[in-house]
Amino acid sequence: MMIRCPICGALTTWQENENRPFCSQRCKLIDLGKWVSEEYKVVEPLDEKDKSTYDICHLDEENKQ
Amino acid sequence: MEDNKETQQNTVSVEDYTSDSIKMLKGLEPVRVRPAMYIGNTSIEGLHHLVYELVDNSVDEALNKCCTQILITIHIDGSCTVSDDGRGIPTEVHPDDKEGRSTVEVVLTELHAGGKFHNQAYKVSGGLHGVGLSVVNALSEWLEIEVRRDGKVYQQRYERGQPVTPLTVVGKTKKTGTSVRFKPDSEIFVETTDFHFDTLASRIRELAYLNKGLKLSIIDEKTNKKQEFVYDGGIVSLVEHKNANKNLIHKDPIYFYTKKSVPILKADNSASEEYDEVELEIALQYYDGYDEKIYTFANNINTREGGMHLSGFKSALTRAVKNYITQMMKKDSKKDTEDIQGEDTREGLTAVISVNLQKPQFEGQTKMKLGNSYVEGFVSSEVYSFLSNYFQENPSVAKAICSKIMNAAKAREAAKKARELTRRKGEIDVSGLPGKLADCSEKDPAKSELFIVEGDSAGGSAKQGRDRKTQAILPLRGKVLNVERTAFDKLLKSNEITTMISALGTGIVEKKFDTSKIRYHKIIIMTDADVDGAHIRTLLLTFFFRQMPEIIEKGYLYIAQPPLFRVKKGKTDTYLKNEAELTKMLIKMSVEDVVLHKQTEEIKGDRLLSCLKKITEYEKLISALDRKGLSRGLIEKMIEKSFKLDIFKDKDNLQKVLQLIEEEIPGIVVGEMTFDEEHESYGVRISRDNLDIDLSYRFLASLNYEEIYKLNREIEALIGKPPYKVTIKSDTKEVSCSSELLTVITEASKKGLTIQRYKGLGEMNPEQLWETTMDPEKRTLLQVKIEDYMTTEETFRILMSKETDKRKDFIIKHCLEAKNIDV
Repeated sequence: MMIRCPICGALTTWQENENRPFCSQRCKLIDLGKWVSEEYKVVEPLDEKDKSTYDICHLDEENKQ
Repeated sequence: MEDNKETQQNTVSVEDYTSDSIKMLKGLEPVRVRPAMYIGNTSIEGLHHLVYELVDNSVDEALNKCCTQILITIHIDGSCTVSDDGRGIPTEVHPDDKEGRSTVEVVLTELHAGGKFHNQAYKVSGGLHGVGLSVVNALSEWLEIEVRRDGKVYQQRYERGQPVTPLTVVGKTKKTGTSVRFKPDSEIFVETTDFHFDTLASRIRELAYLNKGLKLSIIDEKTNKKQEFVYDGGIVSLVEHKNANKNLIHKDPIYFYTKKSVPILKADNSASEEYDEVELEIALQYYDGYDEKIYTFANNINTREGGMHLSGFKSALTRAVKNYITQMMKKDSKKDTEDIQGEDTREGLTAVISVNLQKPQFEGQTKMKLGNSYVEGFVSSEVYSFLSNYFQENPSVAKAICSKIMNAAKAREAAKKARELTRRKGEIDVSGLPGKLADCSEKDPAKSELFIVEGDSAGGSAKQGRDRKTQAILPLRGKVLNVERTAFDKLLKSNEITTMISALGTGIVEKKFDTSKIRYHKIIIMTDADVDGAHIRTLLLTFFFRQMPEIIEKGYLYIAQPPLFRVKKGKTDTYLKNEAELTKMLIKMSVEDVVLHKQTEEIKGDRLLSCLKKITEYEKLISALDRKGLSRGLIEKMIEKSFKLDIFKDKDNLQKVLQLIEEEIPGIVVGEMTFDEEHESYGVRISRDNLDIDLSYRFLASLNYEEIYKLNREIEALIGKPPYKVTIKSDTKEVSCSSELLTVITEASKKGLTIQRYKGLGEMNPEQLWETTMDPEKRTLLQVKIEDYMTTEETFRILMSKETDKRKDFIIKHCLEAKNIDV
């Protein structure tokens, strides 16, 4: 299976590739770095209503943390 | 004068030589006693060092522009000749020699004699190098030297360091040069006295690169192997050679040469009165890889340990790059350049740095480090100003290089974070497992399952409802309010990733993933059946595909299928995965009580059921179009007018049909027709209530218009055109369209049922969660397969994209409706 490295876009293969789906150990590390620095996220803007509902539900938990 | 000297030399008697030779032998005695001190060792490296010694002498001639070619010959008898077309070693009596010997003889018999006659025009080498001809002579069974100079050919023979013949003129010549043939002494080189062609060739190639235009040849008479090295490009050719078959960041190597008088620094680093003439030559080129390859040389000697020239180069490169990024790319200078470190500027760099100086000092264990402190500042300032100018004058090259460097800096930062975080084990309890994990008591991975559950409340239910023996629960909080409290961020928190990794028990990052250590053979992602849940699921799937593909390859990763509806009829509960299943169930339940009238014909039973299935499918497609702004009324009018996709190719017909539609649907405005050259079809803009739709072949085709058309006609054939007359139980009514027909039928069967729609896993009590989703006897799990990788990446890519509209459409289209491994 020919695939593109998710980080640099280089063409590589899934099979016989120690770092699949990446082209290199380095790109794999960069990806992991993005996960752990929380760069991969879906942002969903919210209105005031959402916010107050959320506050009621989660404020206590957040304070605890 | 000259003639006199010659006569003198020629008339030296054999006896005189004998008495002299005792002293000479004494002079070279240390070399024979401790050869390793002069040539490193007496094994194969030391043996070859003898040749390098001679070649280096010839190259010195080349550096003085006095020599254009050097020939190395390996003879059948095990001896080796190095000859050049340089000036030839002076043959006259050495001015400082009390015994009146020729310079040739002094050079061959006195240790470190080089410095005595090497004046300003000559260079001296240090360390193992430049110990000179005398060492080679001392370690040879015999050595014959032939000098062409002043129109004459001189010869002299030595044995184990001592001359056995006087320096004799043997003939006439127009050429100049020195030729030394020697046979290494097997008493010294006990291991081997065989010269290796390839070993010599590789050093000679290096020298050829370093000395632009100098021709170096090597011949092995034993094998007739012959190779010639000459590089007009010099070190530029060397860089090109090293970067062959690589993807280059810029086409041509960057080259720089300068020669200046540099004040020699005193011990306290102040400039002294003394100057050194320093030559600096640099070639560099970036390629798209990550290795750093900097080759440094001082006086042609490969300084493998680097030294002052290398450190000067490195600091200049870093400064020049940072400065350029700040000034020219007008970036947020502080932030961007602070992040850049020296190592980033050397990623994917192939460079050759070559310096020539008069008094090189070699340091380090192997004497392969240049120690002259004044070289650092010189190289640094010269390279800095050159590179700064070069970047200004070649903005496209500079930009390409700098953007590579900035990426390198980003990558380094990211990788560092990854290492730090995965090394830290997260919140871990006494058992060495994360505190948030509710583990199972089973120790056999093959019998153990891990549920990764989104949301704390769902996690709580799952913990209570699970089979403690085999099922472990790890709750994740996928949705959090961002810091500014303006948006929800859906993400995997970094501490949760760490937790997940340690719960699984497998390594990650640099350590190779170890499947034998995995603690569960079923890892089950359990998320809500809503948009948020779909997002978290995509994130988790992407994470596993990218960072732990082995888990998927082994078939360990699954997706739980929690129900979206609970339907309660009397005392029985039925759980349904999605809307379609609910509709299907409701239709099935009521079909016995329904009769559809088509004029006098009665449609019921199986025929009705298959018809209702078609209507369900039709409604699903229609509602997708509706979301795109194409109303049911418009579509059905189009179908009524036999509006098929090929109409877009027929301008007149399209115009005609659109006109009819415009007349028959109030409020519709048909705009100007446009031609799409690429698809050879026409399109038109339709407006209604301030809503514009570009009606075109591509647009309709992408929305399954043809399928809708087909279904519409099939339904019409089965049950006729609306309105429809329908009898449910004994109640007969008329409905205006197929949608309404479906509604009345499903509504009718809802009577007597309690339908609960789950907004999240948390709404289910522990028992329900167990029964519907977790119980191995009843649940259905979707196994994640490698084939799902592309879809997962695609979904992930869209979720990460900034275009919220595109994302929304995609989510609506795929996440919520997809039947299978959606996302």
